[in-house]
Amino acid sequence: MNNFAVKTEGLTKVYKDFWRRKSTPALTNLNLNVERGEIFGLLGPNGSGKTTTIKLLLGLLFPTSGKSWLLGYPSSDLKIKNKIGFLPEESYLYKFLNAEEILDFYGKLFDIQRKERKCRIDRLIQDVGLEPYRKRPLSQYSKGMLRRIGLAQAIINDPELVILDEPTSGLDPIGSYEIKELILEFKRQGKTVVLCTHLLADVQNVCDRVAILDKGILQVIGSVRELLSQKDAIEFLVRNLSDDDIHAVESFIRNKNGDVLSVCHPSSTLEDIFINIIHNRK
Amino acid sequence: MVIFTIAHHTFREAIRKKILYVLFGLGIIIIIISPLFPTIDEPDARVKMMLVVFFQVVMLLCIVGILLLSATSLPSEIEEKTIYGILSKPVSRLKIVVGKIIGFAFLSALLLTILSLLNVILIQRIASRLPEGYKSILKARNEFKASKFCIQGKSHHTSEGIVWIKGGRTGIALWSFSDLCKKPNSKSSFEVEFDIKVESSKGFINTIPLAVGIEDTFQGRSKTEVLSLRIDEPLTLKIDPEIVRNGSAINITVFPIQGTDYIGVTQNDVKIFSVQKGFVSNYAKAIVITFLKFLLIVIIAVMGSTYLSAPVSIASALVVFLCGHILDFIKDFSLLIQRHDVHEHALPTMLKKPDVFLIYLDYIVKKPLEWFSVILPDFKRFDSLKFLLKGINIPLETVGVVLGYTTIYAGICIFISSVILKKREFF
Repeated sequence: MNNFAVKTEGLTKVYKDFWRRKSTPALTNLNLNVERGEIFGLLGPNGSGKTTTIKLLLGLLFPTSGKSWLLGYPSSDLKIKNKIGFLPEESYLYKFLNAEEILDFYGKLFDIQRKERKCRIDRLIQDVGLEPYRKRPLSQYSKGMLRRIGLAQAIINDPELVILDEPTSGLDPIGSYEIKELILEFKRQGKTVVLCTHLLADVQNVCDRVAILDKGILQVIGSVRELLSQKDAIEFLVRNLSDDDIHAVESFIRNKNGDVLSVCHPSSTLEDIFINIIHNRK
Repeated sequence: MVIFTIAHHTFREAIRKKILYVLFGLGIIIIIISPLFPTIDEPDARVKMMLVVFFQVVMLLCIVGILLLSATSLPSEIEEKTIYGILSKPVSRLKIVVGKIIGFAFLSALLLTILSLLNVILIQRIASRLPEGYKSILKARNEFKASKFCIQGKSHHTSEGIVWIKGGRTGIALWSFSDLCKKPNSKSSFEVEFDIKVESSKGFINTIPLAVGIEDTFQGRSKTEVLSLRIDEPLTLKIDPEIVRNGSAINITVFPIQGTDYIGVTQNDVKIFSVQKGFVSNYAKAIVITFLKFLLIVIIAVMGSTYLSAPVSIASALVVFLCGHILDFIKDFSLLIQRHDVHEHALPTMLKKPDVFLIYLDYIVKKPLEWFSVILPDFKRFDSLKFLLKGINIPLETVGVVLGYTTIYAGICIFISSVILKKREFF
């Protein structure tokens, strides 16, 4: 037993070929601790072992060596899945069902009582913005809508730990922003989120800590602020300063033997502008 | 609860497949047009044809449909990765297998119910127009085999287990039946069926006169009749109900009247049947047995699909299904490949050179075939049509044996499936 939401010790996965011969390791000796209540980002390029890690945690793959725990219990324990929500990298859903039916199906797999299930389904459909399309078969959904309903099914059981594999893939900036807001809401509710992505902006905006994987090996782990901060440089963000005052500050810094690297107006991100425009039009 | 959720989901998914509707529609069309199929002149031949068409053709179509669906369900979940959604929930892999099986079992039951209802309604309509003598196909007869068989007097000769008697009272064949009235039923009547081999020294003849005696052993009452027995055709004779009701045991004696005629008899050539109405209940029993056959096929197909891809899984399930019907042929074939043992020859072993090819053949072909015939399901056990065609009541013991066989076979298959699926990784 341990108090981590996710813990791995020497987790290794080596895939075998058709003749059962071992090929290149997909994951090598991964030691990871994810604290309860934090948003943890698992970063890396394609083929770095992110999805393999998630599949190992969920029991879809078996480790070649090493161990893993979820919420203090061995990840092979079936009961622990009652407290876990999972969104796969693509929305692998039954396309012949509609939003209501698919959530009902997954709710039943968690043995949630009918009344409670209905309540949660209504709320989740509302939360992910699919109320007008709740009776439409998933085969007629766009990729973004599928992502939303996928996210809804991942949290139908009100999980303590949510594992999201590329949650914003296929979403427009608004959808992406809403998902990120939802992830932050999970944090406010005390849930732990493991976010697996290669979209660095997602991670920077929402994650408390990140781990970077490459070729199955953990390269770096730490808090986002720690990793991004440049210890040898200082940034001031000021308002209401005239040009003369700016020159005076610059001269003062130079007199103190400091190097002024750049003096400019801060710019918003394209995402911020896009969201503002769309919100103003609404 | 979770198992039934998966079963319900499997059922819902299956009923959206077009192949099911095509085969189901074809089945309905075949049932409806089956009374129009050309048959021989016998009045009950049409009913028999309808039964054969339903149990051989329509059921084959349904089995193929169910087999295709059940063999592809799990592989398509794995291929489309929808299985991730289930496996990431607190659902054991055994429950997935059992849920799938129950879903397809329910679908099979629904198909069987609809099609069999249509078939039985049509049969009842056609059979209601049959002459009285041919309505036995709509009865459910209980079969009684002779408890004792002997020859009084002299038999002419015995060949291949058949005892031949010459006519003219030189020998009389006697069959004793006991426990006929174990469960007396005032509505049931009794009849005796003779399936006796006949020869005559007069050359080619159609019929021979036969003296048939029926004796009530309790009261000693007997009745003798002269019957005309057609060659290669069974003869049915109604028994006086009084004779059967008074005694629990009766003797039947048979001998050819003319000295030029011969009859060849064995213990099972004469059978007594208690006849009562009950075609529908008998038909229901046949459907239950057929359902168990469907269930076994579903289980085998799902078992294969836990490891194999969809096309290979379909092919393997079809092979098992076909081989399960020709088990006797496989057994006989393995016996044909019998190694000639060198010890059988007169020369000492040291001097004989064993045929290496035959020895290898023994291990490469014969032994695997023997094992194959042991492992494969024996679908001949599920043949309920033979009872319906003869109008014989399907004994509850038969249904019980088939149920037991299915349970044991299913248990083993489900165990293997869950072990395979438990070891399987999902990339």
